[in-house]
Amino acid sequence: MPNDQYGVGASLLRKEDERHLHGRGQFVPDIKLPGTMDVAFVRSPHAHARIRSISVPPAVRSHVFTAADLPRIKPIRITSHATGTKAPGWPPLATDKARYVGEAIAACIAPSRGEAEDLANAVAVDFEVLDAVVDAPRDMHGSRHLIHEQWGDNLYVERVIEGGDIEAAARAAEITVSRQFRMQRQSGAPLEGRAVLACRDHRLDEVVVYSSTQTPHTLRVALGEFLDIEARRIRVVAPDVGGGFGPKARLYPEEIILAALALQLDHPVRWVEDRGEHLLTAAHTRDHHYKVTAYADRQGRILGVDAEIVVDAGAYGLWPQGPYQEAAMAARNLPGPYKIANYRARHYTVATNKAPLGPYRGVGRPGACFAIERIVDEVARAVGRDPVEVRAENMVRSDAMPFTTVGGMRLDNGDYPESVRLCADLLDLSGIRTRQQKGEADGRLVGIGFAAFAEQTAHGAAEFVARGAAIIPGFESCTARILPDGSVVLMVGIQSHGQGLETTLSQIAAHELGIDPARISVRHGDTESTAFGFGTFASRSMVMSGGAVARASRMLRDKLCRIGAHLLQCDPAQVRCADGAVLGPQGSVSIAEIANVAHLRMDGLPPGVDPLLDATATYEPAIGTGVFSYATHGAVVAVDPETGFIELLDFAVAEDCGTMVNPMIVEGQIRGGVVQGIGTALYEEIPYDEAGQPLTGTLADYLLPGAAELPAIKIVHLHTPAAATEYGMKGMGEGGAVAPPAAIANAVRDALASIGAEVNETPITPRRVLAAIRKAQTGRRGG
Amino acid sequence: MKAPAVDYMRPRTLTEAVDLLAHASVEARVIAGGQSLLAMMNLRLASPGLLIDIARLPELLTVADDADAVTLGACVTHAAIEDGRVADPSHGLMPRIAATLGYRAIRTRGTIGGSLALSDPAAEWPAVLAALDAEVILYGSSGRRSLKCSEFTTGIFQTKLADNEIIERARVPKLSADARCGYVKLCRKSGEFADALAVVVADPRRGYWRVVCGAANGAPLVLGDTSRLVVEGPRDPDALRSAIGSDLDHASDRHFDDFHRNLHIVAAMRAVQQVLA
Amino acid sequence: MTAIRVRINGSEVADDLPPRLSLADFLRERRNLTGTHLGCEHGVCGACTVLVDGEPVRSCLTLAVACDERAVETIEGFGGDPVMAALRRTFHQNHALQCGFCTPAMLITARDLILRRRAGSEGEIRDGLAGNLCRCTGYTNIVTAIAEAAKEIGKEAPNAQ
Repeated sequence: MPNDQYGVGASLLRKEDERHLHGRGQFVPDIKLPGTMDVAFVRSPHAHARIRSISVPPAVRSHVFTAADLPRIKPIRITSHATGTKAPGWPPLATDKARYVGEAIAACIAPSRGEAEDLANAVAVDFEVLDAVVDAPRDMHGSRHLIHEQWGDNLYVERVIEGGDIEAAARAAEITVSRQFRMQRQSGAPLEGRAVLACRDHRLDEVVVYSSTQTPHTLRVALGEFLDIEARRIRVVAPDVGGGFGPKARLYPEEIILAALALQLDHPVRWVEDRGEHLLTAAHTRDHHYKVTAYADRQGRILGVDAEIVVDAGAYGLWPQGPYQEAAMAARNLPGPYKIANYRARHYTVATNKAPLGPYRGVGRPGACFAIERIVDEVARAVGRDPVEVRAENMVRSDAMPFTTVGGMRLDNGDYPESVRLCADLLDLSGIRTRQQKGEADGRLVGIGFAAFAEQTAHGAAEFVARGAAIIPGFESCTARILPDGSVVLMVGIQSHGQGLETTLSQIAAHELGIDPARISVRHGDTESTAFGFGTFASRSMVMSGGAVARASRMLRDKLCRIGAHLLQCDPAQVRCADGAVLGPQGSVSIAEIANVAHLRMDGLPPGVDPLLDATATYEPAIGTGVFSYATHGAVVAVDPETGFIELLDFAVAEDCGTMVNPMIVEGQIRGGVVQGIGTALYEEIPYDEAGQPLTGTLADYLLPGAAELPAIKIVHLHTPAAATEYGMKGMGEGGAVAPPAAIANAVRDALASIGAEVNETPITPRRVLAAIRKAQTGRRGG
Repeated sequence: MKAPAVDYMRPRTLTEAVDLLAHASVEARVIAGGQSLLAMMNLRLASPGLLIDIARLPELLTVADDADAVTLGACVTHAAIEDGRVADPSHGLMPRIAATLGYRAIRTRGTIGGSLALSDPAAEWPAVLAALDAEVILYGSSGRRSLKCSEFTTGIFQTKLADNEIIERARVPKLSADARCGYVKLCRKSGEFADALAVVVADPRRGYWRVVCGAANGAPLVLGDTSRLVVEGPRDPDALRSAIGSDLDHASDRHFDDFHRNLHIVAAMRAVQQVLA
Repeated sequence: MTAIRVRINGSEVADDLPPRLSLADFLRERRNLTGTHLGCEHGVCGACTVLVDGEPVRSCLTLAVACDERAVETIEGFGGDPVMAALRRTFHQNHALQCGFCTPAMLITARDLILRRRAGSEGEIRDGLAGNLCRCTGYTNIVTAIAEAAKEIGKEAPNAQ
């Protein structure tokens, strides 16, 4: 029976809060093991260099480890099942070549991090500096230099996606709009950086690796593979993790190295990255280049889109999936939520001398959304119509769904045009238009812009197989256990790092079992105590892990009802679970009593029913192609045309993620994602110089949005439950970060409409705004 | 990153501090709030052998409020100025500027003397003190000397502070009751260093006008022509813009790209308008 | 090594430290008070904020040896503090934390804002939070929680004007 207070749909306050509010969270660096030595890495200062020799002062030789000192480590290899992909072996400690600034060359250990850094500074590496490949579009065919000599070019993979007849669309078009777009390279920048603590447990004959990771079970698989150890002798624990967002869902060389050190040295070793290391070597993200042409009729109906997409993926692929997803996702999502019939997208994933590219909230979608939503606005302007209307008209309508877009996305259900209307209402579009006509006393220019998207979530095996993925994260698992006193433990393979899964998963179990969530514990992040699961990413946890929790809970519910009916001496069909008990026609028996029987008083069990109350279930979504949440985002900006500075005056989201298990947590995820999207839109970038040196090294130059730069984020919901997930849930964790760059760029375009200036690159910095204004003014003067 | 190894001493008097500085056998630096120095040490951009902690020296915490000036000890914190806990010679300009400097947790430790000694080109105090015609009093093994703040900073992180000297005090002339000030700080993110900074002080009763640009690729730039124009109280924005541009272009010790040149002009224009309005 | 005496959360502590050790590392590594977190070590992110003699400071930019004879308060303290109690409650009720990494420092900064009467409006609160980054929440709920706690405290202590 659904319970409004604490079941599905309740904005239950979080269990996680208590420890964090008192500073009693336990993040990897908070875990203290006696005898721990700290690790600092010698890292390459060059983007591309041959390593000729490594000199270590003899007095400290036993404290410095190069690749040769850790022979058990095998190079990281990605197994892609997609044809035509290249995957370089990646030695965790560089051997003959360094291929990006920051690549690890040696590990130094000392009683404290400061002393380990002192050691690292004493190690001298002799380099032969080589020219660096830094411009992905220019260098992808290797005309200048090759990063992986055996390749012949600098392409991980290139592909074409085609649908319909793009040449026919081009011929039929009355309007043709072409633009180039750029999303600059950035960092995921969770507030807690990466950290690894590794030690040996002799009692269990295991190496224990604590890591600030989103994917503990697959990390165990990787450690087993690259250290040649059986999985039963490895334990991975992800304790509290201070933000992940994607960059912590990949294997890092440091994780392998720390485990290898623990095995070799037999004392605990710890590596806590600092912010500089994170900006330098944790997964870089975004870094897309687009050339897009849209063909449309005079109404602004888009007949076709032709695109070329280049993704700068850095020097190596991150395990397990490699860099192949990013460009492919961008290409498949570029048609957006629109009924575009003709399409061609060539996409290129390029190797450069930069840190490896990884997934970050939205992955390929923010770039794709940026490109298509800017183009839609330009098509609207070309035909002299309001972008809000042209956008809504091009959208797939709910009565046409399920609808497979020309990019291959099977849109399941939802009212996309309604989200546009609601978002416009939330921002008071007509009020903004009036304000624009009046003008601002301080001379700034106000603009409003929108961007919409559909987000594929909880996609299953079929989708990953189609992508040629190395591993197929098509299911999640849950072991649900009722203990002898009737309290409950849910053991799940995902890892909660802010999403509140300790609370929401207990809500689902509470929903099925009729037990107060306060009596339910969720255990996650530990390979020791949970069945295999893939971890938390791809907006999958509520649907997948929640689905597994639901299934396992129902298995327990059925057994509770059988035992309870027996104790109540009635038919199992006559009982139900509610209020912490099994209720029958004439009385009830508490879960605690039933649990007591199932463990300590088995003489009370019905014949044919085994002891214990333990159930393990997996869950796969019925629709392998995913369920689609969607949203329209809107931004109101004030642009100072004299300085190029932008103030974000207002931001709104009209979204639909189906059934919300905990609306409070859903809104938290939206707002968090939106602010990260605003970071992408206005502040965050890691520029590189020609020598491959990154030009941001601290948070003083890598700017993260703070409260003072932001308005309150407004949200309104639509509710279109998914057809075939538990309770009609859809994933939604990433969506908030997808549309803000496009919405803000469109708002800036609107603000500067009288000047005709466009900024088609993120972040939209004052320099870029002024350059765009200057370009537009020069153009108008016929220059 | 972690700071490199260093020794630490905390003398009890200013004389002791100067003595330590003069006789150190390793590279010695004084540390007050440490908000800049420790950040640099954490990045391993600075590795002194000895830190001489002057933050608690009573001589550096004094505040004197006399007829025509307020003299602030070098270790008066930004927060103390922000909160109005020390006498204010500037009719609210200094507290207003202090409140936008970094973040509160930085301001509770960072000091006005520290800011002057480092003279980060984008820092506020060097520009503001130059605009207020303040003096800095230095104390060294050969005694005291006084310099105009506008001459104390000579370039990016460069000052006339000798190796064996410590900043003791800043003496700031009091503004007349009817003096007017303008202040514009252009930056994208609250609390970060400025992209452009302009301070305007107009005190006709004392016959004093000054326009200063900060975050200007070098020492704070006193805009001579612009200051003279402000005296005359012009109403012509083009003349003003032209004067600012001319002052910027005549700064022979530095170069601005178009973007920053424009920002400085805008900042100075708006700061002047605050005064003239 | 330098000897120091410091009061931490009300208890006297004596220790002998290398001068290079930051207050943050002293608290985390030598006193096992790990609620104070490190996010950048260059003073920007704010995750390391603690109180020294009642004022918020960046423990990553403070030497432990410079805290000799000082009183330090960390998130593990504030036991009977009514402002902190109100904030803990409103943060919980308003979903003002997600991963929890920024939370201890956010609470300490928020408490300081309320005590200095700088939490009277949304704009003021946002300005006051400029030095505390959060990557998870988007700040909206944090601002709401602080405003609510400020109102509550204002009501309870009208004579504190």
